[in-house]
Amino acid sequence: MQMDNFRNERDQYFKEIDNLNHPNETLVKTHCSYCAMQCGMNLRVKTKTNKIIGVEPRYDWPVTLGKMCPKGVTAYQQVNNKDRLLKPLIRDDQSLKGTTNGFREASWDEAYDLIVKKFTELQENYGKDSLSVYSGVSMTNEKCYLTGKFARVGLQTRYIDYNGRFCMASAAGGLNRSLGIDRGSTIPWTDIQDTDCIFLAGSNTAECHPTMMFRVWAIQERGGYVIVADPRETPVARRADLHLDLRPGTDLALANGIVNLLIQKGHIDEEFIKNHSNGFEDTKELVKQFTPEYTSAITGVAPEKIIRAAEIYGKAPNAIVMFARGIEQQIKGVDNVSGYTNMALVTGKIGRAKSGVATITGQGNGQGGREHGQKADALPGYRKIANPDHVKYISKVWGIEPEEMPKEGVSAFEMFGLMEQKTIRALYLLCSNPAVSAPDQNYVREQLKNLDFMVCVDFFLSESAEFADVVLPTTTWAEDEGTTTNVEGRIIKINQAQMPLGESKPDWQIQVELTERMGRGKYFSHLKTSEDIFNELRVASKGGTADYYGVTWEKIDKQDGVFWPCKDENDPGTPRLFLDKKFNHPDGRAKIFALPYRPSAEEPDEEYPLRLTTGRVVYHYLSGNQTRRIQFLRDMCPEPFVEVHPETAAKYNIDHEELVRLYTRRGETTYQVKITEAIRKDTVFVPYHWGHEKSINLLTIGALDPYSRMPEFKTCAAQIEKLKIKKVQ
Amino acid sequence: MKKRLYLELENCIGCRSCLAACTQCGGHEERNRNYVYDVNPLVNRQTMPLMCLHCVNPACARSCPAQAIQIHETGAVLSALVEKCIGCQNCTIACPYGIPKFDTEQNLMYKCDLCIDRSKDGIPPMCASVCPTNTLQWLTDEEIEAKQKQFNLDNGKWVTSMPYLEGETNVRVNLPGILQGVTKLF
Repeated sequence: MQMDNFRNERDQYFKEIDNLNHPNETLVKTHCSYCAMQCGMNLRVKTKTNKIIGVEPRYDWPVTLGKMCPKGVTAYQQVNNKDRLLKPLIRDDQSLKGTTNGFREASWDEAYDLIVKKFTELQENYGKDSLSVYSGVSMTNEKCYLTGKFARVGLQTRYIDYNGRFCMASAAGGLNRSLGIDRGSTIPWTDIQDTDCIFLAGSNTAECHPTMMFRVWAIQERGGYVIVADPRETPVARRADLHLDLRPGTDLALANGIVNLLIQKGHIDEEFIKNHSNGFEDTKELVKQFTPEYTSAITGVAPEKIIRAAEIYGKAPNAIVMFARGIEQQIKGVDNVSGYTNMALVTGKIGRAKSGVATITGQGNGQGGREHGQKADALPGYRKIANPDHVKYISKVWGIEPEEMPKEGVSAFEMFGLMEQKTIRALYLLCSNPAVSAPDQNYVREQLKNLDFMVCVDFFLSESAEFADVVLPTTTWAEDEGTTTNVEGRIIKINQAQMPLGESKPDWQIQVELTERMGRGKYFSHLKTSEDIFNELRVASKGGTADYYGVTWEKIDKQDGVFWPCKDENDPGTPRLFLDKKFNHPDGRAKIFALPYRPSAEEPDEEYPLRLTTGRVVYHYLSGNQTRRIQFLRDMCPEPFVEVHPETAAKYNIDHEELVRLYTRRGETTYQVKITEAIRKDTVFVPYHWGHEKSINLLTIGALDPYSRMPEFKTCAAQIEKLKIKKVQ
Repeated sequence: MKKRLYLELENCIGCRSCLAACTQCGGHEERNRNYVYDVNPLVNRQTMPLMCLHCVNPACARSCPAQAIQIHETGAVLSALVEKCIGCQNCTIACPYGIPKFDTEQNLMYKCDLCIDRSKDGIPPMCASVCPTNTLQWLTDEEIEAKQKQFNLDNGKWVTSMPYLEGETNVRVNLPGILQGVTKLF
């Protein structure tokens, strides 16, 4: 391919449209701060004052063409929000932990000195591993990469992990196992509208990734099919050709049932199976048991629907299987991913345009952030700490001896267990809000309180910051530059539109300055800009699975992003994976997995007869720390609620908008009832964007997938109790 | 080339991005000027936008005793002129769709002006720019005609225009149920 004039594909929707340029304003091209759609946008900046004042569509971004969801439209309102932290905060009185009280403003010097003193004392008394870093992936690759190095080289601790354990870990595990590579999508998003069938499993696409919806609807306009597997009739399920309304936690049975029918009805691609896969015979044998009737008994989906789903997917010339947190946040999340991926593998509908498999990544940089060494077991370029060659290579890039590389740590949720045992005594928290987002909140909050010392880096005083001794003010996405890797695996550029507000600093700068004060500056001081970090990341990822070596900021700009792997200067990147039918396992074959069904960690019983499932609403993002502060979004959805089917509501004698007590074995809370027929009768749903006593994660279960260590947010057993209060006024 | 706002109601997912974007138009004083309704909230998640249809012979303007509602040369029915509006609210009653909103503090009607500072130069209004589902689109008459051929419904009521609603409108609306006419690929 000629590199000189290469540009990633623009599709039939692309139109040349001028932007409206207001006088005395500059438009800065960038992407949204929230989900992995990473919608293109222009930020409107007052030229004279350098203040971001609004948003203008970015019509020339080929993935989203100017489209934005309500979060995207209002995202800029985070930057100069009245709640921004402008100075470091210190709290001397530890008894106030878990509240917003007792913080005083401090200088950066005082805050740094305190952190260095506490970290040093704890490491002298309890060993290097008494410190921990808990990170997130709603930030650039540069920051994610540096955070891994900061923990292992700067703080010299093994305990680092990130909130991707609540987000993408199961998809990563399943895709690695089935395909040998974890790039969330095998195809670019510009393929979606041209496929003949999209199978969406556990994805509330319309609310969580709205700007891909015009492509999904276009499939139907062409006469193609949309199939949705979800316990709720979400906005995308409402218009789907087929809605497989399964019980939460039963995806693996549904996947096995469909794979069985694909085999029985002759929809398989024998040539593909023979030449490009392993494991077909074992899988064929295992799924035999999953007849439509047997599958129906487990999933609650009518046998006819299962048969029809297999028929449509099987007959479709091209088809895409997509899944999201609905199937991944289960104790068999990894198996669910491999199970649905089996559909594509037995039919050979992968490794070409308009056909493939994708997980719809949640967080903005959920893809890039999991590739470059923030994970307890991983090093940059998707390398593994368990592999001595990988350790050797990264040690060289970092300028340390391989023996100095800390060993594998534990997953995010398991870190709370080590806090309980006092193995971990201090926490450096950034880009995450586990006091809302982690399951089993009563337990988690107790462990945060139990810490000897906690630092929280954020731009707002999050619920988690309420447990910190020191809060450091960082920048929002629009006050720094760097790259993210979007839902497609396309590396894109975030641009700076405003100088940091108040005394806030970008995370990478904070980490460099801290390591300098901890006597580790020689490994960090050369990193003066975000681009310096990117260039080190390129070298660190070179030769790894997620190879970014050939990506430069300039190339990203010229090509409308670069799909990894991109191995050298002349490589334009890889929009579509497996076009040569070579998968990333050593033998070049994909693996079809035989996956026995197992129930959820907590199945309903007499005492707790309902299935509780959680998710998002379109107006809020993750823990809500950002979106709850934005007026428009707060107006649209101010409070959480519990969705109940009218027949279930009648059983409990509860009305629409009535307050009820919802409880599980771990906790309880009170919600207003939202009655809707668009949910299963045995299931209740609560969105998870709120903290304190409104958090649904007070009720969720901390049971983990054995491979991905992802908690089972999507199902546990619950009960409703009618309260005497009738309505909140 | 003249472009029109075109609505495909069946696509709406209720994200209300159009309302958020409406507040972002320079001339809108950060207030949104249209509506998105839950059609039957206790039953399903169907939603639909209710946008000003920019009638060719608008009832709001006809009812205005002060001639405060001007019609732009592009056909856009503009928001009330601050200096002329007397706050009588006739327009809010006259409009068959309930579009004009009223600001009691300013004693002033305000409504969708199709982002006239954008649309006068052919730039799509904010709502149609951001709409993630293509419920709201900004199309040429040729593109709209192609849509009409693509979705050939047998009842003939393809768009809400004469004689099906109040009067001829500049905005074209594609009623729900459009997929009924689509032939499946297989």
